[in-house]
Amino acid sequence: MKEKVKEVKMKRRWGMAIDLDKCTGCGKCSVACNQENNMPIFEDDSDVPKRVAFLELMKVTNDRDAKFPDVKTAYLPKMCQMCEGNDPKNPNPPCVSVCPAVATDVGDDGVVSQIWSRCIGCRYCQTACPYEARVFNWWKPEYEGSFKKSLSTDVSVASRGTVVKCTFCSHIWKRERDAATAKGILDINAVLYTPACAGTCPTGAIVFGDLNDHDSEVYKLTQTDRAVRLTNPVDDVKDADKKKSLLKAKQFTNPKVYYLTSQQWLRDMMRFKKNS
Amino acid sequence: MEILKKWFKAGYDGIFEGTSKNMRIALYVLIVLSILFGIFAIQILFWGLGYTDMDNNFAWGAWIIGDLGLVALGGGAFTTGYLLYIFRVDKLRPIINSTVLIGFMCYLFTFVFLLFDLGQPLRAWFGFAYPNWGQGVYPVSMLTEVFFCLSLYFCILVVELIPTVLEHKVLIKNKYVAMVAHYMHLLMWTMAAGGTFLSFFHQGSLGGGMWGVLYAKTVWYAPHFFFMAVVAAMAGGTSFMTLVPYIAGKIMKKEVVPMETYQILTRISGFIFIFYFIFRSYDIYAAVYKYAPMGGREFIDMWGGYYGIWMLVLEMLLFAGPLIFLNIKKYREQEKFMVIGASCGVGAIVVSKLSVLLHGFSAPNFPWKGFTAYGPTFQEWIITFGVFALMILIYMAFVKWFPLFPHLEHNEHDAHH
Repeated sequence: MKEKVKEVKMKRRWGMAIDLDKCTGCGKCSVACNQENNMPIFEDDSDVPKRVAFLELMKVTNDRDAKFPDVKTAYLPKMCQMCEGNDPKNPNPPCVSVCPAVATDVGDDGVVSQIWSRCIGCRYCQTACPYEARVFNWWKPEYEGSFKKSLSTDVSVASRGTVVKCTFCSHIWKRERDAATAKGILDINAVLYTPACAGTCPTGAIVFGDLNDHDSEVYKLTQTDRAVRLTNPVDDVKDADKKKSLLKAKQFTNPKVYYLTSQQWLRDMMRFKKNS
Repeated sequence: MEILKKWFKAGYDGIFEGTSKNMRIALYVLIVLSILFGIFAIQILFWGLGYTDMDNNFAWGAWIIGDLGLVALGGGAFTTGYLLYIFRVDKLRPIINSTVLIGFMCYLFTFVFLLFDLGQPLRAWFGFAYPNWGQGVYPVSMLTEVFFCLSLYFCILVVELIPTVLEHKVLIKNKYVAMVAHYMHLLMWTMAAGGTFLSFFHQGSLGGGMWGVLYAKTVWYAPHFFFMAVVAAMAGGTSFMTLVPYIAGKIMKKEVVPMETYQILTRISGFIFIFYFIFRSYDIYAAVYKYAPMGGREFIDMWGGYYGIWMLVLEMLLFAGPLIFLNIKKYREQEKFMVIGASCGVGAIVVSKLSVLLHGFSAPNFPWKGFTAYGPTFQEWIITFGVFALMILIYMAFVKWFPLFPHLEHNEHDAHH
């Protein structure tokens, strides 16, 4: 039986496609994420830069000073982009190599994990992350009122002074796998899952799935012309040779979260090209 | 109670006896700062970093600037040690004790700052227990390297400092102590060599490599940053090592270190500053024409904000000091210009570290975000200045009670006869 388990290879490479044209900015994904991942709830959470939340719903405007009808707005749900570096077979997210205590790692399913209890709180990974996806527990986590009773038992509550991050709700997958194992299915690839944000989105803007499975919806979406990745300039280089030399010269983040939009101004914004 | 009073009086007299009024005021300020440091240290260590102005965008603040500055300026210790013990520049001997002490304190308080910066100070040992070393000889994480190199070099500085303590006029009377001190002096070159070896790594990593390797952050990414930091430490460190005993001498109104020694050290500093300036110029050139476009950004767009271009200009202006005054003999031999040159050199290094940190965090990661500012809270200021106050107090204590300046002892000895 042990032999059998060993033989099974990980096939999954989890990824996400978020349709920004469908997103209404309702914030349900953020709330679901907070609930699922035991985010602290303070009485006063007005200090936004110190807030602990894995999923930040960003408001994107073409120009802060623009007036109607020139003003354009979009909402962009931003979580950990699960970077993989230049080589998907040998992933190298910017945050993993810098950790001095090996508190963060990238799994063979492509998910960048973080172990709260190993973290020493140096915040080097936060410094390394270009997506501001990692958050630090500046205060001791608190749960106002009866929120404590609704804590999820699958996610450990982080202590003060540790860095936490989105894990694509990996614990849900583990739960599903455990359930499958109980039924005698030992294949690690047998079950799929849906993270809290994708499961709760009322417009179906967030699609989650396996990027290695070319029949999956998420893979098909990432292959369309509407797909764009956040501040990953190498994607814009069309010339194959130039792209190759660029990838040789420097590591790029190459995130596994794709955004979908047909709005040119938004695509430009995501590339640091302002005022188009 | 009576005993306590007696002790307190003895301690008070020991510290303040024979001090001028100005010195007494300075001492009071330093002691008050140190006490406040202790109080706020408890608050930060027990109730967390929420009391600082750091946040999820500005993940590091005043203390890391302190670290970068202290380590870079403490770099003068390994340079001077190497020159004295390996190259046998014997004229540097009068300054070596002071240099080792400054190096020791710089590293000691770098640890203190680092400890404050950890969200979980009690887990600091994880850095040694679970190092991110990877497969090869060289560690994967720059911070792992900092952990190990800094600790080992600190041990070396402790060993280098021991003879100064052993040569205390009471201790040295014991013949065994005298023997140990003598042989430690003879073997000190091994420590100097080891220290230089280690310093090359951690100067590079904490000063530059830590930022240079962040490939996803266009503001910082620069593979040569590691090597530039080593040169910066040698250039600025030697200037700093000149400046501290010079100021001490001015306050004491005595010649603690002969002018000749200052001249050699500042000359070396000025010479290394030429290399550093060339390196830094290349660094800016590479940032503008190579790394910014590679990251899909424009340099000028990235270098606006609160800590952008003006800091770069200030740094360039400060460079003029060491480049002109420390390299042209005519100026260097005038005490005034020598001091201005060395101060500007130290200033240039400090500004460059400030700029790396403040600007790096201030620059937005998303085009729809603006530049952010950082204003350290009272706690952060107090802990930063408390550390500096403690350093000054320790230096003063060594000046008072230990043979920090052999040159001075010789002169006084001669005067007595």
